[in-house]
Amino acid sequence: MRTLIIIPAYNESQNIVRVVDNLIQNFPQYDYVVINDGSHDQTAQICRDHSYCLIDQPINLGLAGAFQTGMKYAMQNHYDAAIQFDGDGQHRPEFIGAMEEKIKEGYDVVIGSRFVSAEKPKTLRMLGNNLIETFIHMTTHKTITDPTSGMRMFSRRVIRILATEINYGPEPDTIAHLIRSGAKVCEVQVKMDDRIAGESYLNLSRSIRYMATICISIVFIGWFRQKVDLGKEEVLS
Amino acid sequence: MTIWFRILLFLAAILSLQLVLRNIRKSKLLISDSLFWIFFSAILVILAIFPQIAYVVSDLLGIQSPVNLVYLVIIALLIWRVFKLYLRVSSMDTKLKELAQRIALNEKATHSK
Repeated sequence: MRTLIIIPAYNESQNIVRVVDNLIQNFPQYDYVVINDGSHDQTAQICRDHSYCLIDQPINLGLAGAFQTGMKYAMQNHYDAAIQFDGDGQHRPEFIGAMEEKIKEGYDVVIGSRFVSAEKPKTLRMLGNNLIETFIHMTTHKTITDPTSGMRMFSRRVIRILATEINYGPEPDTIAHLIRSGAKVCEVQVKMDDRIAGESYLNLSRSIRYMATICISIVFIGWFRQKVDLGKEEVLS
Repeated sequence: MTIWFRILLFLAAILSLQLVLRNIRKSKLLISDSLFWIFFSAILVILAIFPQIAYVVSDLLGIQSPVNLVYLVIIALLIWRVFKLYLRVSSMDTKLKELAQRIALNEKATHSK
């Protein structure tokens, strides 16, 4: 089984070396690709200096755009699975193996969840997480304990959709819509680290906008969207 | 606000909503771009069902007819949207220019090697 680690990176010059060197040294069994999303800092230059596997987008397309570039690369190179991986070192590669096992069992989307067996803390951020969990449960009857986790692995037939369709960004509403379309989704317990350097993209007004978009997309627009044809299930050895 | 005006508002809201949803279904509209139109339709529906809101607010602002307030709200929302659209166009112009320049420079670099 061939798995690709997609690392979207926007202004991650302080983190990218630590993240990628860890992958190269300790997890050489996985292929990876860094997608530089038109960073203003030295991210691309650092990747070239270290001769990392890099796709350098000349302009900023946003996380969804960078993620889709990675998916297109995965599709072009016939990977069996692709995982979305943070450029700031929040995600830990030691959990990728367990997620791969689930893909081999025939799951289409495997979410690296912080809360399968662990308790969800009662913070404002997790209130949003809970709300999305509730809406996904309401509309799909499936419990996703950590819908906002950015650590998600996708099977080959889902990679094709994410790479080519619009409105399939790396967000919880995509997960909800894939469940509705018949994709098999499961979660694996993982641990995540806090950001070490740099600042988070989400501030208050962006968070409100994000929540509004995701919630309306799940509970309202989802009803009217065309279900996507996933194609045949593939059996991996 | 006459009953006919309220029905008109309601129909306009439903029609714009239907247009938006159809285009999402056809993969021609981004969900993030549809949000404005959904809120826009929602405001029209609320004003059509509860015209009292328009009466109270127009009294407060000293607007003679509540219908004028409805126009004002619609015009304000549309002007704001047009401005946002201009911002988008500007940023797209810049990105397009950067892309074309990058491609041209790359081509020059590969040909002169």
